[in-house]
Amino acid sequence: MSVPKLEQLSQSVVQGPSLAAGAIPTRDWMDIPVKFTPGSYAYVAKKDKVEYLNSQSGLSFPNAREWSPEDDDWKLPEGWKEIILKGLQERLGKFRSLKIFMDCCVRCGACADKCHFFLGTGDPKNMPVLRAELLRSVYRNDFTLGGKILGKMVGAREMTVSVLKEWFMYSYQCTECRRCSVFCPYGIDTAEITMMLRELLHLVGIGINWILEPVSNSNRTGNHMGLQPHTFKDNVEFLVEDVESLTGVKPNISFNRKGAEILFITPSADVFAEPGLYTAMGYLLLFEAIGLDYTWSTYASEGGNFGLFTNNEAMKKLNAKMYAEAERLGVKYILGGECGHMWRVVHQYMDTMNGPADFLEKPVSPITGTVFENAASSKMVHISEFTADLIKHGKLKFDKSRNSHIKATFHDSCNPARAMGLIDEPRYVLDHVVDWVEMPENTIREQTFCCGSGTGLNTDEIMELRMRAGLPRANAVKYVHEKHGVNMLSCVCAIDRATLTSLNDYWTPEVGVCGVTELVANAIVQEDETRGELEEGLRTMVF
Amino acid sequence: MDIAEGFRFHGDKIVNRWVEYTLSTYTSSGFFLKERDKFANPVGGNLREGLQKLFLLLSRDADPQEFTAPLEQIISIRAVQEFTPGQAVAPLNAVKHIVREAFAADKERQHLVGELYDFEFSVDLAVIAAFDIYMQYRERLYQVRIAEIKSGNHILTDSKCPSSMLDGDNKKIIKTVNGI
Repeated sequence: MSVPKLEQLSQSVVQGPSLAAGAIPTRDWMDIPVKFTPGSYAYVAKKDKVEYLNSQSGLSFPNAREWSPEDDDWKLPEGWKEIILKGLQERLGKFRSLKIFMDCCVRCGACADKCHFFLGTGDPKNMPVLRAELLRSVYRNDFTLGGKILGKMVGAREMTVSVLKEWFMYSYQCTECRRCSVFCPYGIDTAEITMMLRELLHLVGIGINWILEPVSNSNRTGNHMGLQPHTFKDNVEFLVEDVESLTGVKPNISFNRKGAEILFITPSADVFAEPGLYTAMGYLLLFEAIGLDYTWSTYASEGGNFGLFTNNEAMKKLNAKMYAEAERLGVKYILGGECGHMWRVVHQYMDTMNGPADFLEKPVSPITGTVFENAASSKMVHISEFTADLIKHGKLKFDKSRNSHIKATFHDSCNPARAMGLIDEPRYVLDHVVDWVEMPENTIREQTFCCGSGTGLNTDEIMELRMRAGLPRANAVKYVHEKHGVNMLSCVCAIDRATLTSLNDYWTPEVGVCGVTELVANAIVQEDETRGELEEGLRTMVF
Repeated sequence: MDIAEGFRFHGDKIVNRWVEYTLSTYTSSGFFLKERDKFANPVGGNLREGLQKLFLLLSRDADPQEFTAPLEQIISIRAVQEFTPGQAVAPLNAVKHIVREAFAADKERQHLVGELYDFEFSVDLAVIAAFDIYMQYRERLYQVRIAEIKSGNHILTDSKCPSSMLDGDNKKIIKTVNGI
């Protein structure tokens, strides 16, 4: 009697438009079309943004139009299929890695359960191997002999509108975090496959506004926020005033100063939005404490590079201002703030893309004399390396008790951890300034879980998607909160500071988010400061 | 044999079946079932843990207040996945049928099927609580969206910065500035 009832309950559970409630798949993955519903996709790029970008030198963003992913007709340009296939052919010739990644996967499945999107959704097309297969199937069909002859038998399929829609859905359900690559025996970089998918989609005018508008802002004013030089300057000056009223110490700052020793570049979010601006106040205090001879730039006013999430031409163009400004100002090298994807661009692409920066010197810390051999070629040093070196040489005086209201943990931001190996430096810094604990080992260091909102997916219309994609990270945060009383999640990434705040607000509202440099500045003891009377840390003082 | 003994005897089997049933609502239920590391498999791990705790409470006729923690562990996850509200909470109900199945198939304990009123009433209360929790988490989701918009991060798009005027007709702006 009860068995049929359970089946009936099961039927009602799996009915309806749910993708996740599909129970046992009865069809081949190629035969399951994607369905776009509100919340399942990020808003598409506005027509005027695409038009503007397409009109700019060195950039190509064709087919500006009004359209919606929910419409059957995506208003693709005539000959769109040829455009895509030609684009793929060009990229296979141009990027050796793409050609290798298309050919060498043995479908061992090591990556399958490593993706936070898969872990949060259970959608098989979010397994990295299958996400790559979305492109690989088309590659097989048109660029391999086996595929041309045997077709579907060898996993080949024709490029159709349905395939294109699938590409859009799943290349924007990947944050290019590269966790899967850590487990791939061949080292296939799924992030690069997603990058290629997005590049190809842009060829026919498919892109999202949360990425293209910041790219357009950045192309115009130098930063994602679209801040003009005077606004950028004003914002940093406001922060100087805040620091002065909170600590009694007024940091010296300068903008576009020729002859400064160091050019400092950080994501513009740090000077504009909470909680990033506390990190920016941290930079100001830190640099003041060591008397650093540095300058901000109102031109290279953005460390982040949303161009990375569109195509290589846009990435290159937006990145070019860093070296250009360093050369114009005649600095010795560049110091970079806490950012995630900025460091992927800087560490893996900048040197060959816009370098060599022969006009700069091999970075040497003016305070300790340490030579940063690791940045000998890129000429750009990470703030955490720089700070760790200062601490190692005893150049900073700390009162760790100023952070005693904080029990921290550390989130390795995907790009610094996996794209540049910045793993121990922030930990060394934290050891000296705050009481902190690690999250479980399969969620940190090289195996860190993404915030779920990287690569320009930090937009609010896909909040549910972000929450489920961020579940693996949030799950580990919740664990250390419950076990160790952790109340602060520290990180070295501007996007993380914004997105982890939302993630925690949903999963563990008791845990705040801060930058590592904010904690450093909280603990720094300087002469003539007046914050001794304050009972709690810098953040708390603001409110 | 009393009903408490029946729950103890069949407890593990019932929970396993319940977990299996709940995870079958996901496309990739195989992995969610197999991987037991909670950090490598947060959906499977949390749902299993939550259902285990909830079953213990239901089977000992506990105070419904105590249902909240394990229900939150389960429902917070299902509230942001692609389920309708009904689909999100429905698997909780399954335990009624699973328990009846387990007792009915056991000759020694068949008579317990007639004594399930209290248990099933507890399940009903848990399902009602789950609806409340589902809504709380949906509300929280919207609050998170609002907080994000207010935080200033939204300036990335729809920026009101004066320079955004440059997006439009540059000539018009130049004319305005020059008083033409």
